[in-house]
Amino acid sequence: MGRRDHGADHRQTRELLGPYVLGALEPGEEREVERHLEACAGCRKEERGLRETHERLAGAAVAGAAAPPHLKDRVLAALPPQEGQALPVGESERTRLLRLVAPVAAALLVAVALAAYYGGIFGPAETAALKPTGLAPGAGGEVEIERAPAATEAELEVWGLPQTGPNEYYELWFGREEGRVSAGTFTVDDEGHGRLSTACPKVAAGDYHRVGVTLERFPEEPRRDAAKVVLGGELQGS
Amino acid sequence: MAGASDEVLIRRVAESGDGRAMSELYDRYGGLVHGAGMRYLGDRGLAEDLVQDVFFAVWRSAAGFDPSRASFSTWMHRVTRNRATDLARRRRARVRTVAPTSPLPEPGEGDVAEEILRGFEVVGVLSALSPAHREVLVLAYFGGLSQREISTHTDTPLGTVKSRTTAALRAARKHLLDERREDDPKARGPEDG
Repeated sequence: MGRRDHGADHRQTRELLGPYVLGALEPGEEREVERHLEACAGCRKEERGLRETHERLAGAAVAGAAAPPHLKDRVLAALPPQEGQALPVGESERTRLLRLVAPVAAALLVAVALAAYYGGIFGPAETAALKPTGLAPGAGGEVEIERAPAATEAELEVWGLPQTGPNEYYELWFGREEGRVSAGTFTVDDEGHGRLSTACPKVAAGDYHRVGVTLERFPEEPRRDAAKVVLGGELQGS
Repeated sequence: MAGASDEVLIRRVAESGDGRAMSELYDRYGGLVHGAGMRYLGDRGLAEDLVQDVFFAVWRSAAGFDPSRASFSTWMHRVTRNRATDLARRRRARVRTVAPTSPLPEPGEGDVAEEILRGFEVVGVLSALSPAHREVLVLAYFGGLSQREISTHTDTPLGTVKSRTTAALRAARKHLLDERREDDPKARGPEDG
């Protein structure tokens, strides 16, 4: 093979290596590429690199191919609308219709929310500033809870907490004289920062005003009498 | 919208509650989150709960995403891992009197966790490619289209699709190697320059 022929093969092969590793070439093209690869170390090295990338893409495609088709609409339809903002768009006609009427729906929701608030259906939001204990000096946090019979939700943000070890996690609690209820678990990032958005229906009916964050360790069951409290505070009405 | 990076999409969600941006993020990551749920939790219902929890958290916490601290895919993976840990703990509490038929991996640990993390990295890298490169790879890998079908679908000559596929794989490889170097400076190999 002359230098010119090799150069033409080389350029063509390098352009076809992508579909080659995908197994997407015509048989004749594939044979040409394989013939060139036998003689060209540079293209063999390039082919190995692209094949590795191909395998990672193929692996991600397999891992991400399992979601049932109906789930998207369900997930997006369940997201709480935000004032003046459009709802997420699913694939169904129902969701498309929701998107089209979102501005009207948002205005209606605002009106309904205001009416409900002043009508006493929902309680006002309560917040608590969380102070550290000796187990996590320098840490802090805030929690906001909106009590409603059907959808009491808590939003927690913490900072400066030590990272958890293997099998360790933090747990958010709401407490009263008679006991406490769990509102969810979380871990923190490398900088000790964490967030938790959680539904806590049990808190809606009770007079839970104390808030605490504890460090827990699986598989041990959380125990109130041996709780490692890292943050604590009292809910205040806003 | 399909041409925007993950970081642009999450900023739109944070700034204006952009539903189309949220829908696009679901298209990119919903399958991976569900797949992670099946691997970690071993239950289709819990996997769907995980998807619901994760996208609820993304919707509510979008303003807290800081692109200077981590890529969106890394953040998304962290949210998924934390929510899966929570659901796994609740599942154990519910079924602790029943012996499991086979042990499930702990979220965040082991080979399965590594495999799931790599899936998120790949989707994050796709988001960082040019729209033309991302399109050809998404159609080939996630859409299952042949090169000829991509040519028809995008109204692009077949030869261009083939060379573009190669260029897109090359660009994806470069991003993946860059990410690996950022994660571990010692990972730089001789062929990585």
